[in-house]
Amino acid sequence: MDISTLSKDTTTKLTKPRRFSLKIRQGRWLIYLILILGLSFTLLPFLMMILSSFKTNLELLRIPPTFWPEKFTLQNYIEIFNDPDLPLMRFYGNSAFVAFFNVTSTLFTSSLIGYMFAKFEFPGKKILFGLFLTMMMIPMQITMIPSYLILAKIGLINSLWGLVVFSAVDAFGIFLMRQFCETIPNDLMDAARIDGASEWKVYWKIVLPQLGAPLATLGILGFMFSWNAYLWPMIVLQKVEVRTLPVILTWFNSAHTGQTALVMAATVLIILPILVVFVYFQKWIVQGFTMSGLK
Amino acid sequence: MRIKLKQNSALKGGGLAAAKGRFVLGITIPLLLYVSLSIFVLGWALLLVFFEYSPVRRGGPFLGLGGSNPFVGLGNFVEMVKGTSIEAHLFRTSLKNTLIFAFVVLPLNLTITLPLAWMLESIGQRFKTMFRTIYFMPVLTSSVGVALIWMSLYHPQSGWINEIIRFFGGTPKAWLSDPTAGFMGVSVSMWGVIFAYLWQDYGFNVVIFIAALQGVPKMLREAAVIDGANHWQTFSKIMVPLIRPALLFVCVMTMLSSFQVFDIIQVMTDGGPSYNTQVLVLDIYKNAFRYHRMGWAAAESLVLVLIVMSITIFQMRVLRTKWEY
Repeated sequence: MDISTLSKDTTTKLTKPRRFSLKIRQGRWLIYLILILGLSFTLLPFLMMILSSFKTNLELLRIPPTFWPEKFTLQNYIEIFNDPDLPLMRFYGNSAFVAFFNVTSTLFTSSLIGYMFAKFEFPGKKILFGLFLTMMMIPMQITMIPSYLILAKIGLINSLWGLVVFSAVDAFGIFLMRQFCETIPNDLMDAARIDGASEWKVYWKIVLPQLGAPLATLGILGFMFSWNAYLWPMIVLQKVEVRTLPVILTWFNSAHTGQTALVMAATVLIILPILVVFVYFQKWIVQGFTMSGLK
Repeated sequence: MRIKLKQNSALKGGGLAAAKGRFVLGITIPLLLYVSLSIFVLGWALLLVFFEYSPVRRGGPFLGLGGSNPFVGLGNFVEMVKGTSIEAHLFRTSLKNTLIFAFVVLPLNLTITLPLAWMLESIGQRFKTMFRTIYFMPVLTSSVGVALIWMSLYHPQSGWINEIIRFFGGTPKAWLSDPTAGFMGVSVSMWGVIFAYLWQDYGFNVVIFIAALQGVPKMLREAAVIDGANHWQTFSKIMVPLIRPALLFVCVMTMLSSFQVFDIIQVMTDGGPSYNTQVLVLDIYKNAFRYHRMGWAAAESLVLVLIVMSITIFQMRVLRTKWEY
């Protein structure tokens, strides 16, 4: 014990000669400068969007452009909220509906199937798992045409359910859940079984509560993807009143060409909620993305 | 965990095994149905490839194939390679544009994100979290929103990009609508969408790189410093080789997502001006859902998927090497 602390002390003294720490401190300035440049590169477009949304359209078209709004106006927001063609609440509702069902169904199927693949032995398990993952990894660009034709056949075009049915099972989620389920000790489940719990009860009362953290991560990521999805909703939702927010935003943009200030206000309204969610949950989200990256 | 104690049969071995079996069956049967549905959908897509199929025509009895939606064999692919029709030309243009997009985005992205992550790694924890949060914000912004923000920045008269160019004495450009202007062999409209895309995407890679750099044991870096390595040497000779798996992963992911780019381009230019930014997914979308040439679009998507799959397989092969330090 004594010897190890002693040697540790000597190494720290050796690794930090004066000259070296001075060098680091000089480099620090440059590092912070570059990081702050990157920061402004990221933030300025957001700031421009917010500032533009408070300008009049006339001011926006002026050359040279103004930075701060000359006359701060809420006119754009008032116009959007009073636009009878744009019942914003309805579109928030559509997006929330799709996101809710996507997230809950993915959480349920991922945890259940992941649990099964982690803790049960049955013939053909490996083949099923492999087949399943392969099927799920096929990019949506190739399946999107037949999927659309199927939805058209069963009458789910222009229905929000059309966005839910094909994303009820998620390969990444199952993969993640399987890994977490493997860490749950078998004794925990066996104890419940001895106490007479049915298999479903074991899943519901024992396994699910153990999966809190990965479920939260998966849920937030799923919410983000669903909320921002664009291509598939655009294909499925052709009537205006059933559209989700990103699709309605492009529609609004093409209906108001030249009125940049108005479009910017609509953009603020549509992307702000997600940024607020992000800043609130940022630890979980970043963790989730890292997990998806480095399995 | 409050489960009532029951005098029950599950304790007897046979009963428990049966209960487990029923549980597994209860999950695998719906799962198998789901997998067969996916196989059916994929098979349908692969069939479409050989037909000149349009949903507006009434075709044969099986999936509307045949009849007025004739079988053309490999005709669609032959047309792609050496056809002279507008569609064939557009396919080749889209493929070329997709390749340009992907191969410009990747090196630019890496030269921004890797040094940035390295710098972030070296500063205090508090600032690191704050910087990381902000860098990550565009990743979570809806691509439609990103496209609209950048369209206003690129505005030929009142956009800030042109204002900055004017400030430095350059000539302003009609970024998203000038069909002829180019820079380094790539049209300005392509540069326009590339920058918007980079802005949205780079935070993702920064976060992955930070996680990878944190995984490298401190002592390795310290050892290099003791041996007299400077910042640049520690970075290039020690850190980069050690995070090679993450580096490869990032390369492949960036490639994959840029091959599938759609949202930003569809909103910003819709493939224009004069098809300078028409990329594959956009071409597939237009053919399938605007012009109802679904057989052709399916054939195009098969080409895209083959490219994407081969990149994925390449990744799995290379990443399988185990690393230890």
